Amino acid sequence: MKTVFINCSPKKRFCASAYFLFLQRLFTGGKKVSEKLRTPADHARILDQIRDAQAVVFGVPLYVDGIPSHVLRFLMEMEAFCRQNGLHPRIYCVANNGFIEGKQNEPLMQSFEHFCTRAGLAWGGGVGIGGGVMLNVTRILFFVDVALLLVNTVLSVANTGNFFSKDAWISFGENAALLLYFNLGVLFFLARMGSAIRAGRAFGKKYTRILIPSFVFILFADIFFFIISLFEGGLFRGWLAKKKYQE
Amino acid sequence: MTMKVILHDLDSAQDEWIASKCDRTIRADGKYAPCQGCFGCWTKHPAQCFMKDSLRQVCRVIGQADELVIITKNLYGEYSAPVKNVLDRSIGTSTPLSVYRGRQMHHTLRYGKHRLWKVIVYGEITEAEKETFRYRAERNALNDGFERSETVFLRDPAELEAIL
Repeated sequence: MKTVFINCSPKKRFCASAYFLFLQRLFTGGKKVSEKLRTPADHARILDQIRDAQAVVFGVPLYVDGIPSHVLRFLMEMEAFCRQNGLHPRIYCVANNGFIEGKQNEPLMQSFEHFCTRAGLAWGGGVGIGGGVMLNVTRILFFVDVALLLVNTVLSVANTGNFFSKDAWISFGENAALLLYFNLGVLFFLARMGSAIRAGRAFGKKYTRILIPSFVFILFADIFFFIISLFEGGLFRGWLAKKKYQE
Repeated sequence: MTMKVILHDLDSAQDEWIASKCDRTIRADGKYAPCQGCFGCWTKHPAQCFMKDSLRQVCRVIGQADELVIITKNLYGEYSAPVKNVLDRSIGTSTPLSVYRGRQMHHTLRYGKHRLWKVIVYGEITEAEKETFRYRAERNALNDGFERSETVFLRDPAELEAIL
């Protein structure tokens, strides 16, 4: 069985869609191929991979309550390609958005379902994830946590000659457990969808989110954008102003 | 004074009479780049895209609209790709800060409240796609701070003149 994973984020690096597709790959068996869809130049290469695939998993960021425009262009071409070649891979979707509610991905999911109907493909369903950007940050924090463990271990060897620093490992374990907790809903549904992909059956639509209270999420999201805007300078260029159109 | 903006994907021959029905038109001709998802229009140069094409300041036009009319061909219950491209590039109508609206998280509005988000859909469409379009328009209106949404379905764009 061959599954093609298509990362539909237009970003060159560090995108949430890549993170969720990485997790989805872990739960999917058989031959796995990963592709990136950013420009029309990617279309032919991806369509060629779909030719002998039994399943296709789209990793898509939510743009204005829907599918990003560069992905729509690809879907139109894929519809024609699948019809011309009599292809019928089952389609799955891992959608994510920056808001906390995974349910906000619903219009995007519905359009993927309509695409399948038009293209004569089987709709396998998908997982809609809220808090995608922040969940993506948790993977960075995990690597920071690992780096801190290594530094503490080196310091422990240098100071006491003891290779095993109990305090460092406890701190690492606590932080890793917290990051894992934030991701639990996503891991649960991606594991279940992986099982559906392996069995070649429909999964339905499921919605989940980062597991923190909404008011905490909004506070952190605002702080995140404040800091980014501070460093990028937008804060000093009329950050919240009603900008007028300049001819 | 209210401002009416029409965003459409019809051919250029329609431009003149559409312009006579509103204060400003945006023709979605597809001659521009898709959004790169950088958030620069929030964090680096507010309400302006780093890409120097015809959509660079499109959020400033849409943001000022009291009434936004979107004329689009149906594509899977979604806007056509050129129209969606314009909308994707217009998130600078909001700010990066968040707020609860309609019991869900949304971004705060750079230009305040608007009146009507109206979508006129033409082309062949199924009943299921119509439902999705109505739902999508409601979601768009809520996210972009429009008081209400309206969705109209036409078999042929020639019927437009009667309803604009």
